[in-house]
Amino acid sequence: MPGKNIENRVELRNISKAFGGVAALKDVTLKAAPGEIHALMGENGAGKSTLMKILSGALQKDGGEIFIDDEKVNIKNTYDSKELGIGIIYQEFSLVPDLTVAENVFFNQLSKGSRWMKWDKLKREAATIINNIGFDINTGVRVSSLSIAQQQIVEIAKALSEKVKVLILDEPSAVLGPTEVQKLFETLHTLKSEGVTIIYISHHLSEIFKIADRVTVLKDGISTQRLLVAETDKETIIKLMLGRSLNAMFPPRNAVVGGEVIRVEDIYVSGKVKGVSLRVRSGEVIGIAGLVGSGRTETVRGIFAADKLSGGKVFVSGKKVNFRSPADAVKQGIGMVPEDRKRQGVLLPLSIKHNVTLANFRGITGKLGFVRFGEENKKSRELIKKLAIKAVNENAPVGSLSGGNQQKVVLAKWFNRDCKVIIIDEPTRGVDVGAKIEIYNLINELAAKGAAVIVISSETAELMGICDWILVMREGKVQGTLEKDEFNEENILRYAIGAS
Amino acid sequence: MNSPIKKILQFTIQHNTGVIFLVMLIVSAFASDAFFTANNLSNLIRQVAPVGIISMGMLLVILTGGIDLSVGSVVALVGVLCALFTQTLALPVAVAASLVCGILAGSISGYLVSVQKMAPFIATLALMTIARGLGFIFSKGAPVMVDESATALTDFGSGSLLGIPNPAIILLFTFVVTWVLLKYNIYGRILIAIGSNEEAVRLSGVRIWMYKFSVYAVIGGLAAIAGLIGTARTGVGSPNLGVGLELDVIAAVVIGGTNLKGGKGSAVDTFLGVLILGMIGNIMNLMDVASYAQQVIKGLIIILAVLLQRFEGK
Repeated sequence: MPGKNIENRVELRNISKAFGGVAALKDVTLKAAPGEIHALMGENGAGKSTLMKILSGALQKDGGEIFIDDEKVNIKNTYDSKELGIGIIYQEFSLVPDLTVAENVFFNQLSKGSRWMKWDKLKREAATIINNIGFDINTGVRVSSLSIAQQQIVEIAKALSEKVKVLILDEPSAVLGPTEVQKLFETLHTLKSEGVTIIYISHHLSEIFKIADRVTVLKDGISTQRLLVAETDKETIIKLMLGRSLNAMFPPRNAVVGGEVIRVEDIYVSGKVKGVSLRVRSGEVIGIAGLVGSGRTETVRGIFAADKLSGGKVFVSGKKVNFRSPADAVKQGIGMVPEDRKRQGVLLPLSIKHNVTLANFRGITGKLGFVRFGEENKKSRELIKKLAIKAVNENAPVGSLSGGNQQKVVLAKWFNRDCKVIIIDEPTRGVDVGAKIEIYNLINELAAKGAAVIVISSETAELMGICDWILVMREGKVQGTLEKDEFNEENILRYAIGAS
Repeated sequence: MNSPIKKILQFTIQHNTGVIFLVMLIVSAFASDAFFTANNLSNLIRQVAPVGIISMGMLLVILTGGIDLSVGSVVALVGVLCALFTQTLALPVAVAASLVCGILAGSISGYLVSVQKMAPFIATLALMTIARGLGFIFSKGAPVMVDESATALTDFGSGSLLGIPNPAIILLFTFVVTWVLLKYNIYGRILIAIGSNEEAVRLSGVRIWMYKFSVYAVIGGLAAIAGLIGTARTGVGSPNLGVGLELDVIAAVVIGGTNLKGGKGSAVDTFLGVLILGMIGNIMNLMDVASYAQQVIKGLIIILAVLLQRFEGK
């Protein structure tokens, strides 16, 4: 409305929410002006996602008030929030895997208008939206055939297909590589200039400083005052998030590097990996960097026999091995923490103890496979304690835990089995700062015990912080190998995008 | 907040199969004087035995996220084969051979599903028509008489132990073994894990195919036992036996609250599901409800049971 001066596009006032007696949000206030990029930060379990679900109508608040454009609103369901112009991109994808990209982009509008599908128009318009945000995806293919990063882009396109005044992004960069993140930021800047208010949830501090105007930090369900990003620094935000200062993100490691544990020679995986060789010694942590689609994940999945190798050799402790399934690899002492925690790592409805014992039944079963419940409980409790998993007890379903604790459950599975080689694909995706440091400590501990560790990460800083050397992949090949003294973001990026 | 009504409601939702069972029991007792007689109860449990025995196997299959449509046909095929075998083989050999045939039939489904990665619905649908067809071929389309010398078989079929009919004893035994496997054994644990997230279990180094294969072999064996019981009770192996039996079995498992997508289910509730399904038929027979109406009521009760389960976990 011309003339009307809107102070706050979004204002959440004293919001509270409890789940079955446990308070997730106690007293949260958040304000964001039109055309503001507002970062929402906090550890996992701090209540960020809950807060955003309340704003988008997916959850109902217990107390507090919501104002949109300075007017009090009552959001009873997701339809109400859509009517108010609130768009949300969830951490968990809301795409329909068996429908095409075009159908997914316009999913919420499919039922409106003409009874007949105008395929060409649909595909063309979807392509326009995706091109506008700087990407190129065939809009006629099914979503299930896309990579996770591409799915994230479709998700963003879907939110943009409707006119939005407020766009909420819940950890959008978690699955994107550096170049994709850059493009995402450009899109967000364009939206900002059009007056869209963006609420951006992320664990990446550096991102916040790149794009956000203001930041609100949540700690244990309570919001701290909002800060101007330009007037604050990383230390301050970390302090607010953790309630304590952070000395070092990457703890030092006291591991003795020994003999070769695993050697991979010239492996190929169905068009995605084209002749990768690597070698890891005991006590060593190596990193694999590269953009999404560079063949990093496919390489380690091939080594672990999760996918079939179409060529090349793998040696464990000097002996040639021929794994036909992950079971063979596990038997030889290899463990893998997969990329997609929810789909490949944890059994969400089952308890912690059922999850952590999954890779090794030997200790917990007696004659004829009967479970020794006493041993099982004891072992699970040990692991919960050792990895500092935050849960009521070992019987808590893994689905009730935060992302960081779920990731620890997957790690615990391999701690429960002495692995010679441990492969960790995205060790801290969707994990908060506090849990990140704990995971780095656990990786150090594995190395100190003599394991050979292979880490894949989209976070360059993480690889530089924890690895002894880094391989950079592009187009299925290792483009460069960096020693510790050659580590810097530029070097890695140069190999990753091929601009030498 | 915590009024008694609310508590009762919560209990009903949490133990919905048990509550439905109790309600059915009470309704049945009031509906007909003939219900709570030793004769009727023994009849009831004898009647549900084939469905009950197979339902334990079906529970295992469904826990892994699968389904087996071939069991009715396997019952008929094994019934026919057993009758034929008695004509040429010694009885123990005939019985053992029949069992092996059932396990073999299940193993074919198991191979197609676990190794060839065929959709269970399709693989067992194919096996359903194959087994039915083989039953007709071997029997030449007519019921096959059990050899007169095999009196031990027919005696067993109509016999009882301590007043419990033999088929019911086999059912109870199958139930207890399944219950123990699911509750105390790593085998059951892994089946549930597979149904809850197969890929995560595979990436934990478990040989998925062995477990998936095994459940189909087990249900094949159980279908064979049900077929043997049928032939033992009637003295003939009929190729028409067990048409639509798989649906009764699946219905019992579903009434027992088992998630058809896998990962959740209980032997006790499945057993109760079998009894509920049996009681519906039994009480309506006692009350002289026409069989067509019986089918409608049966379907309605299945819908009711599943609707109640929806509230679980909410």
